[in-house]
Amino acid sequence: MPTQSDDLLWISSLRFLLKHPWQLALSILGVALGVAMVVSIDLSNSSAQRAFSLSAEAVAGKATHEIVGGGEQLSEQVYRHLRIDGGIRNAAPVVQGFGRLDGLARSFQILGVDPIAEGPFRDFSSQESGIDLASFIQGSATGLVSNPVLQELALEVNDTVGVSVGGVVVPIRIVGTIEVANERTEQALESVLVVDISTAQRLFDMRGDLSRIDLILSAEQQEQQDQLQIIRSLLPDGVEVQYAGSSSETLAQMTRAFELNLQALSLLALLVGMFLIYNTMTFSVVQRLPLIGRMRALGVTKSEILAMIMREAVLVGLIGTMVGIASGIALAQLLVRLVTQSINDLYFVLSVQELTITPGPILKATLLGLGATVLAAFWPAREASEAQVTTVLKRSNRESALMKRLPRFTGLGIVLGLVGGSLLLIPSGGIVVGYISLLLVIIGFSLTIPACMVGLASLFRPVLGALNGIIGTMSVQGLLSELSRTSVPVAALVVAVASTVGVGVMVDSFRVTVVSWLESQLQADIYVQPPSSVARFADAELLPELVEVLQQTQGVERVHSVYSETITANFGPTNLVTTSLGALAQQTYEIKRAESGFWDRFPNQRVVMVSEVYAYRHSVSLGDTIQLQTDKGLQEFLIEAMYYDYASDLGSVTMNREVYDRFYDNRAISGLALYASEGTPVEVLVERLRERADGLQEVFIRSNRGLREASIEIFDRTFTVTYVLRLLAVIVAFVGILSSLMALQLERAREHAVLRANGMTPGQLWNYVIVQTGVMGGMAGILSLPLGVIISYVLVYVINLRSFGWTLEFLVSPSLLFQAFGLAVLAALLAGMYPSIKMAQANPAHALRSE
Amino acid sequence: MKLSFLQLISIPIVLAILFGVVLFSETEPELESTVSVAEAMGGGNQEGYLQATGPRDFVFPDDHGAHPGYKTEWWYYTGNVFTAEGRQFGYQFTIFRNQLSPPTEISTGIGDSTETGDSSEHETPTDSIDPKKSSEDDWSTDQLYLAHFAISDVAEADHVFEERFSRGAAGLAGAEIDPYRVWLENWSIERLPNSGKNDQSFPMRLHGEMSDGTAIDLKLQPEKPLIFHGDQGYDQKGFDSGNASYYISFTRMETQGEIVKDGKVYHVTGNSWMDHEWSTSALDSGQTGWDWFSIQLSNGYDLMYYQIRNADASQQPQTTGTLVDPLGNTIDLEELEVMLDILEYWQSPHSGSRYPKRWTLKMPELDIYLELGTLFDDQEMRVSVQYFEGNLGVSGQMRGKEVSGTGFIEMTGYEQD
Repeated sequence: MPTQSDDLLWISSLRFLLKHPWQLALSILGVALGVAMVVSIDLSNSSAQRAFSLSAEAVAGKATHEIVGGGEQLSEQVYRHLRIDGGIRNAAPVVQGFGRLDGLARSFQILGVDPIAEGPFRDFSSQESGIDLASFIQGSATGLVSNPVLQELALEVNDTVGVSVGGVVVPIRIVGTIEVANERTEQALESVLVVDISTAQRLFDMRGDLSRIDLILSAEQQEQQDQLQIIRSLLPDGVEVQYAGSSSETLAQMTRAFELNLQALSLLALLVGMFLIYNTMTFSVVQRLPLIGRMRALGVTKSEILAMIMREAVLVGLIGTMVGIASGIALAQLLVRLVTQSINDLYFVLSVQELTITPGPILKATLLGLGATVLAAFWPAREASEAQVTTVLKRSNRESALMKRLPRFTGLGIVLGLVGGSLLLIPSGGIVVGYISLLLVIIGFSLTIPACMVGLASLFRPVLGALNGIIGTMSVQGLLSELSRTSVPVAALVVAVASTVGVGVMVDSFRVTVVSWLESQLQADIYVQPPSSVARFADAELLPELVEVLQQTQGVERVHSVYSETITANFGPTNLVTTSLGALAQQTYEIKRAESGFWDRFPNQRVVMVSEVYAYRHSVSLGDTIQLQTDKGLQEFLIEAMYYDYASDLGSVTMNREVYDRFYDNRAISGLALYASEGTPVEVLVERLRERADGLQEVFIRSNRGLREASIEIFDRTFTVTYVLRLLAVIVAFVGILSSLMALQLERAREHAVLRANGMTPGQLWNYVIVQTGVMGGMAGILSLPLGVIISYVLVYVINLRSFGWTLEFLVSPSLLFQAFGLAVLAALLAGMYPSIKMAQANPAHALRSE
Repeated sequence: MKLSFLQLISIPIVLAILFGVVLFSETEPELESTVSVAEAMGGGNQEGYLQATGPRDFVFPDDHGAHPGYKTEWWYYTGNVFTAEGRQFGYQFTIFRNQLSPPTEISTGIGDSTETGDSSEHETPTDSIDPKKSSEDDWSTDQLYLAHFAISDVAEADHVFEERFSRGAAGLAGAEIDPYRVWLENWSIERLPNSGKNDQSFPMRLHGEMSDGTAIDLKLQPEKPLIFHGDQGYDQKGFDSGNASYYISFTRMETQGEIVKDGKVYHVTGNSWMDHEWSTSALDSGQTGWDWFSIQLSNGYDLMYYQIRNADASQQPQTTGTLVDPLGNTIDLEELEVMLDILEYWQSPHSGSRYPKRWTLKMPELDIYLELGTLFDDQEMRVSVQYFEGNLGVSGQMRGKEVSGTGFIEMTGYEQD
């Protein structure tokens, strides 16, 4: 129960807050913005993860293990052998792939099953669930979708929908719907098309092959081992049994670094938010110091004062957090699409239709929002409560105290910065250590800001003095005389603006690197690719007859092909790229390191090159061997070169086709590069090829330039979410500058009244305030540049390297820096506008009388 | 301004808790679904299927294989076998073929034009790989195979059974003629290398294993030539034309091999009976099911007799029967008087169905008087269809001499509504 005195104190603080609605609103906004970013990123990440695990759960069903081949395919002979000769019962064949349904803008998992074997595995595709075998297994291209999907398609049972797989459209008749029992199932099946295995084999051109065989083995350890042993004895070379979750787990892990980076960006926003909270709480304390002094004199205890301020913080934190969560959820609606798009472009097909709001992110945001507010308010609150009753009435004490402490502050900042910097030098440090050191560097830098401001002031003073006379000098000096109050918003601004610089420079660097890499990579004149479900991977194949036709087109001088598939290596699923270039590959691949004589061996010996990302992810280097599952069993290959590759952060292994053909039976091609003969204009040849391909398969036939533009477009798309986050950080920074400077100036109303009373005209006061906020903005802008560059340096050379293993060119574009500086100054000027106009219009006597 | 801190702060906290409770109160449910399907095609519809309308010229070995086009077909193996100590087992091992839709509707695959009408514009290159397909490579089929396997352990009065399904494609199930092999996954009957002589009476191996380990592995050697029931193998069942089947049997096959039950291996010998029958529709409307007997007598005679019951008990049942002498000569029982009387019933505790369990079978013109009884009550098959398939004890007189025998009784159409 609150005592009477508690209530009085509380009413007093409530009064104060309500009397300063701007300040209250701005501090709530500070918390809300930070929380909103954390919530939205967290929610969109977790929605993506949930969508992924749900659809993985749906398609894996109750399988405990699965049998997979060395390559992407597995001969169905293995299944026959298991069933007939091995008598293995709990086994179900699966042919799986991706495609699009006409009228729906998302990829579908196409699950090809044998309904008769499905019973123990997936209830929605089993004979027992009511699938009409007569219409389903006869190979007449029929399928099942969930009821909501059918509604989405605006179709009815027995209608036909066009299903496009790798550029070939096939009409599939929907012969029934999957009735989902609950929302979770509905979500899991929202992008699943169930077809018979024969239909799937035709769709994916996998006659005689399966994607995998699902198994249910005993939960009892010994029994399971026995079963495994029997099954393994039945499997040919290169075919393996693994846990059912293994492949989807590996898939989910691929995005971990990506998601961690998004999270870090959102935490950076919260950090900026914390600065803003600290700033506003400090203000509200400083403003009330006289009041607090009187309260202390009247017998209010220290702890009561502390509690009062902390309760205010809790209120602000709570409201800010709630507003933040609500707006975070709204923002997440947008972000989830961007995150999904990036995952689709980079990693695997993922369809997230809706946002899933889970307790985790909300709870985390609540703790972060409240915690950050309370934490940021603690020091001002303690300072207020510990102030001496007599001295608290005098502000000059505080100022002189800060001035005295300035060297200590600066020293601490430098030490923190150095600790952060040296943490970066630990080569084995992970991403988390990278972010911790980044945090230390930022905090260290912000501690040196008061000293930097003193230094900058001595530069600004003469300049402004010359330009603006006495008012110019006064504005600058005014900042220093209240350094304890002015340095906090400046620090907040520096961090906010610097983080936008950091992220901006990182993305720029990345983009420049990719563009120049594309230049060297794309040597041929024309590229032919089937549409694939994941933009960065070629997971579809060209029809052999199309390859034939294109090769024999007039004007094509020579051709080389690539093939890309996911195979199993000793390091897990690995993207194996096969090129037919042989030694000519040295013209297109940018080699980072290679053994001498590598190009002599590459064409026909057991050597491969790996991308630097692959080498980083799996810690392999030149001279190591890699074991690949081939159709001839597990085979070893020597890694003899490492190349730059920015197509995927999962990395790839490249082998010459001639070598590949010795170990694999697959003769498929997933991309074709053509060189125009002398005198044939590329655009003409592109048209000619398109005509010839017409009706065979829907493929992309693009000139060198066309493909480059398309690739850059995909790149930009995958970074959309980063751009959006950066934009949000800019908004946070802008609001921060606006709010803290406006609060600062509003709070100085009495001081301004004194100036007016002493004869300053309204115009001069306006000038004074605008110049002063402008100087603060300018200082923040200037100081944010080195910190921004440091942040981007860490992002590019530490965080990115540790997350993905990429070597990026470091590029700081002047326009970006100018933009950041402009942002700071503009926001500062805007912030000064309202208080200065208000001050200029106010009656100084009135302002003074309130004393 | 009378709100205390706690009062004020409690408003958003209560709101937040309510919000949280509403939002997260649902626990994660299991993924669950069923399928609702467009009206099943051709359930009971016989249009487009081949019909048994009259005697045919059997051609072997072809007619040992499958007859696609007819809706149903089965290879029915039953037998009574004994251990050296005299412990008796009955077995049933049947593979059924079921054509899912009339043969005319078989479509050729993706891009096929039978159903969309306008699909010529959807013609895709995928079609071009169709000619390459071999039967093993193709999973699409209109043939569904089922198999029923049961062991009747007379000593324990224990009847174990299992049903399996498979598509008749991708090499998973089928009926081949050269060499004879009828199988569903690892349940199969296949021809063993012949000792030479009669190509129609070849030895075969029958083997299968249930999920619980109950297994059978028998070698069967026909002792009599193939028997053609009814009118040279054409067996009229209903009065309507086409309500008939083609029906051939090995009525006596010397049997030896192993039965595994409850983890024990039993070496057994005895007699088996094989029916191979195919049809599109057998029963007229108004006919509910049949009682079918296969009897192997100690004097070397074999008897097949069934009657089809009518819903209207006043109607005469349709019957067919064949008596096979020790050399394989047959007597059609069509024109002869056969009296089958039920002495006792057994009601299944599982299904509630009431099955006859003891009979007298009299054929005065042949001087045959037999008493038949199931060897134990509960031999009900509760699989995708419910029926009774149990082994019989037989005793009585034939031409004045005492005879005994073994046999099987199959009773269908006793389901309770």
